[in-house]
Amino acid sequence: MLTRRQFIANAVIGTATLLVWPKLTFAATGSDTRFLFVLLRGGLDGLESVPPYGDPGYQAIRGALALSPSAAKPAHKLDNVFALHPSFDYAAQLYAQGQFMPVVAAAPPYWGRSHFQAQNCVENGTAQPDGAQTGWLNRCIACMPGVNGLACAAVMPLTMRGSAKVETWSPPLPTEVNPILLQRLQPLYAADTRLAAPFARAVAQQTDSPVPESSAGMMSNGKPGKKKQSGLPVMMAAAGGFMGKADGPRVAFVEDDGWDTHANEAAIVTRKIEELDAGLKAFHQSIGAMWGRTVVIVATEFGRTAHINGTGGTDHGTGGSMFLAGGALRGGHVAGKWPGIGSGELYQDRDVHATTDFRAVFKGVLAAHLGISDSLLESRVFPGSAAAEPLGNLVGPARAAA
Amino acid sequence: MNASGNDATAAVNRFGLGAKPGELAGIHDPRGWLNAQVARGSDGGNAFAGLPGSLDYLREEAQLQMTRRELKQGGRGRRAFLSGDMQAASQDGQANAGALKQALKPYRQETRKALLAEAAARYRVATVTDTPFVERLVHFWSNHFAVSVDKRPARLFAAPMEREAIRPHVTGRFADMLLAVETHPAMLLYLDNARSVGPNSMLGRRIAMRLARNGDMDKGKAGGLNENLGREAMELHTVGVNAGYTQADVTEFSRALTGWSVPYPRDFANGKQPQSAFVFRANAHELGSRRVIGRTFPDGGFEQGKAILEFLARQPATAKHLSMQLAQHFVSDHPPQSLVDRMAKSYLDHDTDLAAVYRTLIESPEAWDAEARKFKTPQDFVISSLRAGQVELGNQPQPVLALLENLGEPMFDPRSPAGFTDNSANWIDADGLWKRVQAAEAISARVAQTNAQPLAFAQDILGPLLDEDTAQAIRRAESARQAHATLFACPAFQWRA
Repeated sequence: MLTRRQFIANAVIGTATLLVWPKLTFAATGSDTRFLFVLLRGGLDGLESVPPYGDPGYQAIRGALALSPSAAKPAHKLDNVFALHPSFDYAAQLYAQGQFMPVVAAAPPYWGRSHFQAQNCVENGTAQPDGAQTGWLNRCIACMPGVNGLACAAVMPLTMRGSAKVETWSPPLPTEVNPILLQRLQPLYAADTRLAAPFARAVAQQTDSPVPESSAGMMSNGKPGKKKQSGLPVMMAAAGGFMGKADGPRVAFVEDDGWDTHANEAAIVTRKIEELDAGLKAFHQSIGAMWGRTVVIVATEFGRTAHINGTGGTDHGTGGSMFLAGGALRGGHVAGKWPGIGSGELYQDRDVHATTDFRAVFKGVLAAHLGISDSLLESRVFPGSAAAEPLGNLVGPARAAA
Repeated sequence: MNASGNDATAAVNRFGLGAKPGELAGIHDPRGWLNAQVARGSDGGNAFAGLPGSLDYLREEAQLQMTRRELKQGGRGRRAFLSGDMQAASQDGQANAGALKQALKPYRQETRKALLAEAAARYRVATVTDTPFVERLVHFWSNHFAVSVDKRPARLFAAPMEREAIRPHVTGRFADMLLAVETHPAMLLYLDNARSVGPNSMLGRRIAMRLARNGDMDKGKAGGLNENLGREAMELHTVGVNAGYTQADVTEFSRALTGWSVPYPRDFANGKQPQSAFVFRANAHELGSRRVIGRTFPDGGFEQGKAILEFLARQPATAKHLSMQLAQHFVSDHPPQSLVDRMAKSYLDHDTDLAAVYRTLIESPEAWDAEARKFKTPQDFVISSLRAGQVELGNQPQPVLALLENLGEPMFDPRSPAGFTDNSANWIDADGLWKRVQAAEAISARVAQTNAQPLAFAQDILGPLLDEDTAQAIRRAESARQAHATLFACPAFQWRA
């Protein structure tokens, strides 16, 4: 007798097990590199994640929140000015191997301090919150014939919206679907012009999954009050699992939220950076040997006020930190021009002045790592960004697996 | 009534929460049906009776904190420590840690019980209500004024805020709803205003002096301006981000809001009983006049911030912002400008009266356009399934909460003060559709199987939206349960058409 699973396999879709990722046909093209973009929503504080402990103004402006390599809980020293937050244990190891690099005083071209407008700019790749209805990463994928993208999110993020083919993935519900029900639904959905294509993909995706057992176990039915099943470590592990395959997606997106630290910042940032650090480690482990051909960019919509506010936190600011990682990265140093945080150096006497436009970093990686031509970068992926010249020397020759 | 058959389905799906059995057939005048609901106002008085108020929740939290403090600091252990009896101190410390755990346990259980009771009441009302248009509006405004329970201090208060600040005003003046929300502990805690202190207020100066004594290391521990609520109240709640206000406006408004707070644990100490869940702390309020969007507001304590809220509520930019959001919610992702303009005019002509805006929406031909439709959000999908199947959750809302979370719209947990997206394009994707099929099966398992006529059931729920192919699929279902699952999972059921 057939099990229900086998029944589906035979009668409906052709192969294997249910409820999981896609055996999509990710055609390998050209040099087979990988790129992951991680968006931290809420506004990560640059002065906490990459404390400029060597800046003479830092201790005074940060008071109780100040971090330093010589503190009781030491920050990871990077050079004579900068350190990494104490929770960045794994990132610090990568840094020592030249596989991690912070960019300081970076921001999208929009400096208006609204979460949603700033996120729109980070995602649509323009200087205007409504400057494009599609995402820069989707437009990038559209420049790479035969390449598909992956968004590890329940809902398609703006970054990945557009004409290029991108799949979403999120931890599945635990129940199986009755194959007969599925059979009946297929012709109905085929007749709905708007839902036909996504439903067909949903059915096609019910094949084999690279998600590790340990995280699959966390995906049992979510109950309120339980720990979230979709934290950065789970999502980044999943992304690495897909991307590590020879025919896996070359370009992927992961997002996280909860970085908006208006109050009691020290505890929140410590926990959130632990998650990001664990996410990097999980991604490295699950992508395996492909790590050597991979670059990761981690960005947030803005930095925060240099001064602490009245509730042990910081308010919306401008310049912040971004991070690059990966085996293909030429890291091991701090990038970006540091504007200082002494008197007269702050933007509007309040925020770290932004000296690097995000798009300069994005363009540098897309050009060197994914082989997008300068003319496509200017005309299609980041129109109107000529002033943000691509950062050079970000990517090295592919490394063997660590 | 064939001529209005499609209008009746629009009334039930586009404006309501999806049909419950018999509802569609009973609508003979779709516009009148909606207008009568607006006249009735918010439902659910009885369903929510017996739930604690915000003040009760604040008191429970205060008691917990006091217990915790006593066990941590007080008791014999501390005296033993001071007298040098280290062994007794250590033993007592361990006993206290155990006692603390014991003290926290019932509190955690109570909290969980309260949250489940709130959820049970909310989805029970949505499942059975006879005023589904108003209930949809309640959910709309709750999401407009989103409070995300992933922020620990706000966790207990999002559901009470919907009952205490949204429901009473859902068909009243927006200005009143705005004031009720911005003075509610949920919003004051979620957007950090409860501890925002004017730098030149009495409290602010005392803190500054203490800082000067203790040096910089105390910086940021307490006392100072926090502009989170001021900014989001302008950007999200009222005029909208493109209204042309500046950072200075945000800062000025935030100063006016200093002192808007909640009772602290110490306000409950020694038998004291605060009478309100909102406290205006005059000693934390920044004195002086404030200038916001070109208008000067004289010093006046609490009245100053209240006057600014009233001013913001009456701005044409607010009228446009709210009308656009309502039109996007009810009609389409890209509603006709003519409709938005007409609603905005009603809003301003009627002193921010929302009932007038709803009536304008109902009477506008654009709202009934056959092409206008919205894809159900996960919550829409779940609620309309519960209504169609009249699923009895009792006191066990957990399966519904788990579904909402898995489908991507966990209750009161949008992770952002902007709330969940209301754009259909954001909810349509392969993964989400697949999960709906799974959810449809899960919900169908809870529908009472008394209905032996699956096709009649589907006709009752979908009316003219039931096409021949879907009817065929339902007719072929091998069980009532499968028929229900097919109905909930079919494409026609995914649209608020």
